[in-house]
Amino acid sequence: MLIRVNDKEMEFCGNILDLVLNLNLNPKTCAVLVNGEIVKKDDWENFVLKDGDYVEIVSFVGGG
Amino acid sequence: MFEIGGKKLKSRLFVGTGKLPDYSLIEKMYYEAGIEVFAVAVRRIGPNTKHTKNVLEYIPKGATIMVNTSGAQDHKEAVKIAMIGRELTDSDWVKVEIEKDTKYLFPDSFETLKACEILVKEGFKVFPYIYPDLNLAKELEQIGVEAVMPLGSPIGTNKGIGCEVLLKPIINEIKIPVIIDAGIGRPSHAAQAMEMGADAVLINTAIATSADPLKMAIAFAKAVEAGRLAFEVGLLKEYEYAQASSPLEDFISG
Repeated sequence: MLIRVNDKEMEFCGNILDLVLNLNLNPKTCAVLVNGEIVKKDDWENFVLKDGDYVEIVSFVGGG
Repeated sequence: MFEIGGKKLKSRLFVGTGKLPDYSLIEKMYYEAGIEVFAVAVRRIGPNTKHTKNVLEYIPKGATIMVNTSGAQDHKEAVKIAMIGRELTDSDWVKVEIEKDTKYLFPDSFETLKACEILVKEGFKVFPYIYPDLNLAKELEQIGVEAVMPLGSPIGTNKGIGCEVLLKPIINEIKIPVIIDAGIGRPSHAAQAMEMGADAVLINTAIATSADPLKMAIAFAKAVEAGRLAFEVGLLKEYEYAQASSPLEDFISG
């Protein structure tokens, strides 16, 4: 199954939590948008990604 | 102590964390320069991104996080970033910064107003970054924002207070706090903003890109405090000609 994560295509099967852990990111400090909509953290485990989903993983960086 | 966004703060110096050489400086600024408010931005993180470190992990527990919507091109993007911010932190402080033009990074007043209307209704503590425009500031005050953040000069230019004649009316006429944001390059500029009666200043570039950000943060903290004290006392009038400090009468006869 092919999804897009931060503008790059990748092969992945599973839910959002699996994806975040798979990418070695800290789930506590990330937010995830699927097809432009924020998915609440409580729903990550039940949110199974579908073929063609566009995922953005965002977090805080230095800013003014 | 002053009250802003539902919090009591000691320091009137807010600091942006962009361009810092090392996020561990944030904790040092908190403890050694007394900075209580740190601005942060939301960006993609992880594979194929420039950003790998999460700034949230470096902000001390007691500090207040101000989520900056910078990068947003319109009110919809700004609202989305604010929502993400609230999802990731306990903070409902959001700095609304919307720019379409990247040469001057001037805020888009129309989109800013729209975003603020939505975010105030959503229960955020809203801090819009604006042009020094009194009419807009009044409109935003009506809407219910916590403070306005007019620019001193364009972001990152270090040019200081380039438009005192436009900023002063905002400080004089609106009742919510005024935070001078952007363009302040030196501690003396920050002191000037505070002498004018600004309630706080937000500094990023001038601290983050200096040779010693911690020392510069301390310098700014002192300047902000000095300027505020002077404002509270009241600045003196300027004169055209010399006014002797020592009495001119009863001088020794030669």
